[in-house]
Formats: sequence, structure tokens, C-alpha cells
Amino acid sequence: MKRSFNTHLIALLLVITSAFVAKAQDTRIQMSSLDHLAAKASQTVDVNVDERLMKLAARLFSDKDEDEREIKKLIEGLKGVYVKSFEFENEGQFVAADLEPIRAQLRGAGWTRMVNVISKKEGNVEVYLQFAGEAINGLAVVHTDDKELTVVNIVGPVNLDKLAQLEGQMGIPDLGIESPKPKKKTNEQ
Amino acid sequence: MKRIASKIFIAGFVVCFTSAPVVFAKGDDFNSVVKMIEQFYNVKHVGIPFLAKAGMKVATTAARIKGGTARRLAEAGSMKLAVFENQEFNGDFSKFRSSLNQALNVTWMPLIQTLSATDGEQTYIFLKNAGDKTDVLVITIDARDATVVQVTLSAKNLALLLKDPEGTGKAITEEATLIDQE
Repeated sequence: MKRSFNTHLIALLLVITSAFVAKAQDTRIQMSSLDHLAAKASQTVDVNVDERLMKLAARLFSDKDEDEREIKKLIEGLKGVYVKSFEFENEGQFVAADLEPIRAQLRGAGWTRMVNVISKKEGNVEVYLQFAGEAINGLAVVHTDDKELTVVNIVGPVNLDKLAQLEGQMGIPDLGIESPKPKKKTNEQ
Repeated sequence: MKRIASKIFIAGFVVCFTSAPVVFAKGDDFNSVVKMIEQFYNVKHVGIPFLAKAGMKVATTAARIKGGTARRLAEAGSMKLAVFENQEFNGDFSKFRSSLNQALNVTWMPLIQTLSATDGEQTYIFLKNAGDKTDVLVITIDARDATVVQVTLSAKNLALLLKDPEGTGKAITEEATLIDQE
């Protein structure tokens, strides 16, 4: 009887742990489905600034030094920055199906596409935020052009102001995003 | 029934824990990466004494950071360097990338990886916690040459690396390999 209780307790703990792990990973977009495009791309950039690195940086950086203070402020509260970017010599090197695994995740719970975001960049820029109540838990940007495909995923409390500050830093490409006021949102898909 | 269940458990355990990828680099990751490049591309690296004879000195030239002033990046005495010169680096870079990531995954954090299929260029930057400093491993491979540099960075230079990973990564390699102008 006692043994059976222990077994059930362990099983319950495993289920709870898995649920927490799944929850923590929710805003992290899995982008490995895009890796096969590297063989066709003329240029591939893959940036991974994960939680370990964020914690390390937060611990090491001081407020006294200007460079350290600036980057510390930017990464404050963030749990990860992930970028995959591909540039192609010719058009038609990627198709909508290549992006479907990414879009499927962005159709998931919590993700909302911001429709009032304007980008100076050519091509199509889609910005998604993940909300937990009023709070923002993560951000994803999908940029597609005839010869270019970029997916940016920032995990943690981030808004478009912060994204604009992060552009051109930490390997995040310049996305030319202009709207700092994501007040109106629509549920996408 | 009990015996069957325990056999299934043991089989599951064996599958889970013995089919895990073999970790190539455990102790000295720098040397492991150098060996990995040698084995994968069938090339040989040039040692630092040879480089010194050829007029190159390690870490004596200040690197110019994009938009900033000239400064030394690596902490004194922290640099490890291996250079591969004028050899063929033919091979599937996606396979190499995957082996490299698998090998370094346990102890190093990948920061940025850039691949250029048209130029055959690959750049990998990995980071590792080293107390109040950070170890950085920069691997650059192009069609004919390759460089592996490991340095220790202060917090200030880590900030520069995070702000501009590509530019600072290049500066680290340049700092390690530029011919001394002094």
C-alpha cells in the first residue's frame, strides 16, 4: 500500500514538473525546422542568447560602466533572445510550408499578432506578442522577403520599445519596426 | 509479469542513457575543437612557435572595435590560438556544425553562428562562465583557412561582445592573429 502511494506520488511529481517545464518553454519558439534552409542560403545567422547567458550577464555587469549598464538595462528580465536569419541568392528558395511549423506555434495559446505595427523594412513583417493576462511574456517577429527570411524570438517581458532598442544589437537584425504603441490587438487565426 | 516489467524498465533505461550523443569535448575543449577540425576536414593546424617565426605575435595588436576606440579584448595570458593556413576546407558545413554543437553543448553556450554557403565561411562563437570573467571560443573557417581562438573576457568586453557579437568575434580573431606592427 505504502509502495503504491509512493509510486503515485512520484508520478504526480513528474506530471507537475513536466507541466512547469512546458509552461516555461511556451514563449520559446522552436526554430530548428528552418535549419535545412542553411544549405540553400547564401548567408545564415543563428543567434542564441539563452537564460544561462542572461543570468551570467546580469551577474557580471556593473552599473558603473556605460557599456555594461546599457546592455544590462536592455536584457533586464529577459530569458532569451533567439534569431534565425537566411539570405538567398535567388527568389523562391523557401516556401510557405517552410514557415508552417513556426506559424503553428504562433497560432498557439497566448500568442497574438499585432496588426498596427509598421516596418520600414521591405517585405512582410509580422509581430506577435504572447500575453499572460496584461503582462507580455514574449515576442516573435517573422520577416519574409523574396530573398530573405528572418525569425526573431525574445522570451520574457518585452515590448516594441525594447525591441526597437535591441535592433542591431545582440545579433538582432534591424527590423525597422516603427510602432511603439501596441494598444489595439486582434486575435490571429 | 514483474520480471517482464523490470526488463522493460532496464531496456528503457539503456535506450535513454546509452543512446545519448557521445560528448567529444570534455576537458580541454579548445584542443578537442582543433582535433575535430583536423579530423573532419583532413587538415593540420600550425602551432604558435611556427607563427612566431613567420613574424606573427599573439595578442600584441589592439583590435579596433567597430565605431569605438582601439582596445585589447583578451585578458592577459588567456589566449589560446590554432591556425590552419592554405588548406582545403571542403565538407558539409551543416554536418560539421551539428558535430561541433553536440560536442560543446554541455559546457559552452552558443552565442552566434554564421554560415555563408556562397563563400564557404563559417563563424561560431561560444561562451563559458569563468568566475567573474567569461571564456570565449571563436572558430572561423573559410575555403582555405581556419582559426580557433579561446580567450577570457572581462565583463566590459563581454558587454561589447553581446552588443555586437559578429564584430567583436572578428576583433577577437584579429587580435589573436594580426601581425605585430610595433
